[in-house]
Amino acid sequence: MRTLKLSLVIVAAALITFGFYGTSQAFHSGGVAECGGCHSMHTPAPGGSFLLVGTDQSSTCLSCHEHAGDTGPSSYHISTAEADMPAGVAPLQRTPGGDFGWLKKTYSFTVRGTTTTEDGATHGHNIIAVDKGYAVDPVNATAPGGTFPSAQLACNSCHDPHGQYRRLSDGTISKSGAPIIGNGSYNTSATPAAGQAVGVYRLLAGAGYTKDGITFNGVPAAKTPSTYNRTEATTQTRTAYGVANTGGHETWGNWCSTCHPDMHSTGNYVHPVVEGLGSTIATLYGQYVKSGDMTGTLASSFSSLVPFATNSSDYTALAALAVNNDSQLGGPGSSDQVMCLSCHRAHASGWEYGLRWNMEGEFIVYNSLYPGTDTTPTVPQFARGRTSAETGAAYYDRPVAQFASYQRVLCNKCHAKD
Amino acid sequence: MKKRIRHKTILLMNISLLAFGGAYAGANVTGSYLYNLSDFGGNIPYDWSRLAVDRERDEVYVLYKNYINVFNSSGMQVYTFGDDEYLGHIIDVAIDRKGDILLLVYENTKTPVLIHCNFRGVPASKKEISDLYPEFPGFRPNRMIYRNGNLYLASTRQKKIVVTDPDGNFREGYDIEPMLELSEEEKKKVIDIEMIGFSVDSDGNMLFTIPVLFKVFILSPDRKLAYFGKPGGAPGKFGILGGVIRDSQGNFIVTDKLKATVMVFDRDYNYITQFGFYGLRPENLVAPDDIVIDRDNRLYITQGRRRGVSVYKLTYD
Repeated sequence: MRTLKLSLVIVAAALITFGFYGTSQAFHSGGVAECGGCHSMHTPAPGGSFLLVGTDQSSTCLSCHEHAGDTGPSSYHISTAEADMPAGVAPLQRTPGGDFGWLKKTYSFTVRGTTTTEDGATHGHNIIAVDKGYAVDPVNATAPGGTFPSAQLACNSCHDPHGQYRRLSDGTISKSGAPIIGNGSYNTSATPAAGQAVGVYRLLAGAGYTKDGITFNGVPAAKTPSTYNRTEATTQTRTAYGVANTGGHETWGNWCSTCHPDMHSTGNYVHPVVEGLGSTIATLYGQYVKSGDMTGTLASSFSSLVPFATNSSDYTALAALAVNNDSQLGGPGSSDQVMCLSCHRAHASGWEYGLRWNMEGEFIVYNSLYPGTDTTPTVPQFARGRTSAETGAAYYDRPVAQFASYQRVLCNKCHAKD
Repeated sequence: MKKRIRHKTILLMNISLLAFGGAYAGANVTGSYLYNLSDFGGNIPYDWSRLAVDRERDEVYVLYKNYINVFNSSGMQVYTFGDDEYLGHIIDVAIDRKGDILLLVYENTKTPVLIHCNFRGVPASKKEISDLYPEFPGFRPNRMIYRNGNLYLASTRQKKIVVTDPDGNFREGYDIEPMLELSEEEKKKVIDIEMIGFSVDSDGNMLFTIPVLFKVFILSPDRKLAYFGKPGGAPGKFGILGGVIRDSQGNFIVTDKLKATVMVFDRDYNYITQFGFYGLRPENLVAPDDIVIDRDNRLYITQGRRRGVSVYKLTYD
């Protein structure tokens, strides 16, 4: 009888321990996820690495972060499946970092008898994910402005797949120590109490994270709304980028320059980053509404097409700015900073070089229309082979009326030359 | 002594239950690779396409980049349509009992409509989804299945299912999220808790997977929700779930994108077997996702790496 009781106790304990329903949350939860979600102990890919079953690291990520059958922006998906992107249909995701699917959208167009092909590979970071059709950058052997080998670029080049970096209760970043209680990226994320930590923004690589000859020096600070993958047809999604460079932090510009050092303005004659905007630029940003319209006010001037880094390392303050309901549209102060992400999306965009707007022509809106093969066929240099729907998608579905009838490029948001 | 032996037997049985997740002593099931869907040029390199099966006529439909390709029971393409721009962005396809083709289409990539076509894919009528189901305002389905005279429309992101007649007239609606009994922590990230696989069995049970919960769910027409599954690398545990269907024996057939396998569970959710496995040989799989089954127990499985649609035959001892 004792044996019988013992056996029942073992079974009961096991069921309590492992549960029928499980306690899985949203997989990463700010730190290392379910091991079995990425690795297989007993059926890894033959000849593969790290007991992963996917052909490579990025293919493993995209097993979850891409899904065929989406009809629009969908939660944690950061890539649109090829099946869902027939010709003329733009990628579907609208995350602040952009949709990697743009890398597969190659366009051709003819201007004055000369046909130009805009290779999709120019639209962002060419992660290699063989299972999902993402291949190495066909042009750049190394990261532009750096030495990181393009043949090694993967999601885990920038993101720590194990999410070890954590923000402690004192605001500093550590790779170990207090347990991670949850995601730290969102405006709704918990504030870690003493003895607790939350994950760093987007599981980004932190101090000491080394990949293929480059080593990061810290993680950048930011907060984003918990619902971030969404159309901006009615309201904008404001990711609040911060400025922090102590306690395991790194500014956004310095973080990007880990792989792109020659793109950084320190010691190089390039557009400034990690510098205060100054009062002149900040004032222009506040006044600029659209081409020919400088009647704006600073309090309502924010544009997610030209974001800036708020000069703050206070995560509570950043969380308050990170909204998707247009309740925080305040523009920059003179000490707020321009950064790489002011002009580029981190993953990919609808435009060359991962830019947030089309820089390859003087107009991004023409005759009150989004340029398209269907809307502006007489000026193909502005649509560059896209349909007007694709152009609008690249601007996250903003109504075209938000722009001037002949809107010039958004460099003018800061420089106001139009 | 006799009692002692019996108790030890029970102990061993219980330990076995824990060790093997309840190994099934019933019929063996074998999945044998047959071929890939092809045209006269060879295998067609689809990448995570959408599938539908026409059980009445033994045909399989593949939706890929707005083209619908129809295959006969030998896996050869026999017809294609869908390149007409006026149809809009085709999201899913279903075939009714008469052989008419139903298309779930997003016009201007925004407005979901149901287009009723004849067997050649020529549109005959069109209805806006939002007009049909006032009970679910803003309903944006992305899956559609015809089964036993019902049309099942599912929004995997909104976690809602609507059942209609073949003309799209409302019959029943299911809001899945409240049924999941999520923990407080899970509710905070409910937007990430998304249905992925979706199918309907012959009894009208709606099957779906939620990968971040590592679970297969079975929703009966009378709104009872059952589930099974655990994360892990061992056979019978889940990595990243894809599709789920039931075969003619009532077994659950589940694809796992991470493990690159097709797993079979009996009607009591006991693990039976798995097949496929990652690799580049014809019988292997890479990131298997959507799955359908025809009336001859042939499985059609979509994959990544442009490996097309693999067809396996289930046999039973």
